[in-house]
Amino acid sequence: MEKITKNQLTAMLLITDAFTLFCFKGHICLITALGFLCGTVIQFLMSVPLVSLCKNNFSIEKSGKIIQVIYFIYIVMWGGMLFAMLWQASDVIYIPYENSHGIWGKLLIAGLVALVCLYSSSTGIKAVSRASVIACAVGAVCLFIVAVSACFGSDWKNLLCTKNSDSFVNEISRGFVLSGGLGSFAVMLGNSKGNPLKNAVYYFVGKIILTAVITFSSILVAGGIMQITDFPIVTSAQLSQPFPVQRIDSLFLIIFAVFAVFSIAVQSLSAGSLLMKIIPSFTHFRTTAILILMIGSAFLFSGGNIFRPLYAVIIAFILLIIPLFLLIKRSVK
Amino acid sequence: MKNQNLKEIKIISGLKQNIAKIKELSGGSSDVLINEFTTGGIKCALICCEGMLSTATITELVLEPITAISAKKDSHELFHYIENFMLLSVDRPKADNYDAFFRLINSGFAVLIADGMDKALAFGVQGYAVRSISEPSAEGNIMGSHEGFVETVRTNMSLIRRRLKSPDLVLELFLKGEKSRTDLCLCYMKDRVPSELLEKIRSSLDNIKLETILSTGYIKPFVESNNFELFSSTGTTERPDVLCSKLIEGRVAILIDGIPFAVVIPKLFCESFQTLDDYAFQPWYSTFIRWIKYFAFLIAVLLPAVYVSIVVYHPELLNSTMLMLLVDAEQKAPLSILTESLGVLLMYEIIREAGIRLPKPVGGAVSIVSGLIIGDSAVDSGLISTPLLTITALAVISGFVVPDLNQSVTILRLAFLISGGLFGLFGISILACAVLVNICSTEDYGFPYTAPLSPFRSRGLDDTAVRAGIPQMQSRNFTVEEYSENS
Repeated sequence: MEKITKNQLTAMLLITDAFTLFCFKGHICLITALGFLCGTVIQFLMSVPLVSLCKNNFSIEKSGKIIQVIYFIYIVMWGGMLFAMLWQASDVIYIPYENSHGIWGKLLIAGLVALVCLYSSSTGIKAVSRASVIACAVGAVCLFIVAVSACFGSDWKNLLCTKNSDSFVNEISRGFVLSGGLGSFAVMLGNSKGNPLKNAVYYFVGKIILTAVITFSSILVAGGIMQITDFPIVTSAQLSQPFPVQRIDSLFLIIFAVFAVFSIAVQSLSAGSLLMKIIPSFTHFRTTAILILMIGSAFLFSGGNIFRPLYAVIIAFILLIIPLFLLIKRSVK
Repeated sequence: MKNQNLKEIKIISGLKQNIAKIKELSGGSSDVLINEFTTGGIKCALICCEGMLSTATITELVLEPITAISAKKDSHELFHYIENFMLLSVDRPKADNYDAFFRLINSGFAVLIADGMDKALAFGVQGYAVRSISEPSAEGNIMGSHEGFVETVRTNMSLIRRRLKSPDLVLELFLKGEKSRTDLCLCYMKDRVPSELLEKIRSSLDNIKLETILSTGYIKPFVESNNFELFSSTGTTERPDVLCSKLIEGRVAILIDGIPFAVVIPKLFCESFQTLDDYAFQPWYSTFIRWIKYFAFLIAVLLPAVYVSIVVYHPELLNSTMLMLLVDAEQKAPLSILTESLGVLLMYEIIREAGIRLPKPVGGAVSIVSGLIIGDSAVDSGLISTPLLTITALAVISGFVVPDLNQSVTILRLAFLISGGLFGLFGISILACAVLVNICSTEDYGFPYTAPLSPFRSRGLDDTAVRAGIPQMQSRNFTVEEYSENS
């Protein structure tokens, strides 16, 4: 994998985080937002062993085959999870063909996204990372418009009134499940230019800001109807209308589609770079195979609840346990 | 293959045999003129190609002095005398094989051969009919120079040299094209050009294996990457002043004899929106115009697609007045809006192509027929809705603002229209992702096409997001090497 800059790394990962937040299913309240933010800080602390490994020229691509296989499976599963999220969220976002053609519509939409991901991945990490920076900047402008629009329809009482039965620890766990892109973070951090610590700090600060903006604006706008909404972020975007006679839902649809493509493309690139190391002779149709595996694994998640505590444990394992084990192993040597 | 053989055939020393060989090799071509005469007591022949040289120049500067030479011992002494004591022209190459010999006479040189000499002397007396320097037709300009490149490479070289008198400007002439033997000129500023870029371009040019070079498109594939690129990563210009500004920034240019355009390497996406007038106007006005161009580009590519997708799938984006207006207009149209839009766009492309290819007086008639008769009657008969025609016209006119990207805009407009018509804004968004990735993957010799936006270089924004003052821009000695990902 070619080296990428701090901005490119952050843009690619933030797009994935934003997309998973858009697809977040369940209630959001002040505790949820704080749990997510606290969870991000914990994730940063957990990434310290990985950062110290990367400081010594470590990357997952250069590690042993078993480690590579674990990360590969994880990233493929997470790619599948993203497809599943896309399917679930597209029910409430007006995607023309999908809504009127049931499962075939869903498959067609997933196929189109996969097709663009396939093309994107074939151009390599450089092109996707450059494009991600532009997409992230455009997304930030669109989110800013949506957030400003949210201010018009916000009710500050929602911060206090919204009730949620989940505990703070549970919210941290749910926040972890939304951070599946950390697998790609682990793979790409070792291939980023500059100081890995600075890169990690840059990314996690960006993630905190993004999470705060999205969750708080969602609570302020949709807090009153949180009990009856499945996708709070999508609902809040639908409720945030700056003009009395026009709607801007479609603006959110654009960000949703763009972020879906790039978040899946980033996973397929990360998985592709690992697969190249695992099976070097597998050169043709590598990305196609990965995307098929991802769509296949999406069926595993499509029906059930995506936000399970087990997934949070797996993510923690990927982010902390493996790098920690490798760090200890290196220290012993 | 034949030219390679000609290189190996040395010039025959006997005059009669030499002339016979020349006739044989030229196939008795009527435009090869062989003038036998005797000077200094030696039998000679002056060979030239009809129409390629100036009769007045050759008579005054070559024929008169050369026929007045006093008696010489042999042909060696004669050639020695001509070479060292007579300055018959400023350009005096020699040829010792028939490949060089024919290249010289076909380039407008008068070539002297003599009995007993195994080499030929050439005199640069070119005087073929050339188009005079005129205003560029494709790159309009208000405040700058009105000189454009012409078809003669040496004239074009002089146009550049007149503007850049620095000895750092290097103009390297070389030949390419097995049959055409076209003169190509590699231009660069030796103190500015990244050495790696220059070496790579030289290497790419070495790989050119062509019979003829008749347009810039012949050599572009050899200097561009082989990947599928929607936007060309090499630029062309027909303005010497624009080319000089590129050379100053460390770029490399290739001039081709017979083509009034220069190929510039590397090219960036943002350059398509820059014109020489931007640097003649006030910075604030230039900044405004530049943003108008960015906006026009987006309108040219996306407006028909967004219109169709909004009308068909996302009417909530419109206010009620606008919605009612469009509903009223589209209800009367017999075709679906996607079919209607595709038809109008394709018809426009057909009319445009007809207007370009037809002789100018007839081209005007095409405009009248298409604009007044077809357009007016199509709307009056209800075949096409007025809003759709307005939208298409707006998109097309916006495309004219950035003529450099016209080919890509045309294709993208149609692709986005189909995508938007089938899948609404979702379709437009995912196609936009693919296009964005394609643009970002465009890169030649390590220079990303999307720089300075991505990879982000804040220093480059003073001539992209805004147009900074000339002293500020010139003081930082910008070269394109700043954008290289190899450095």
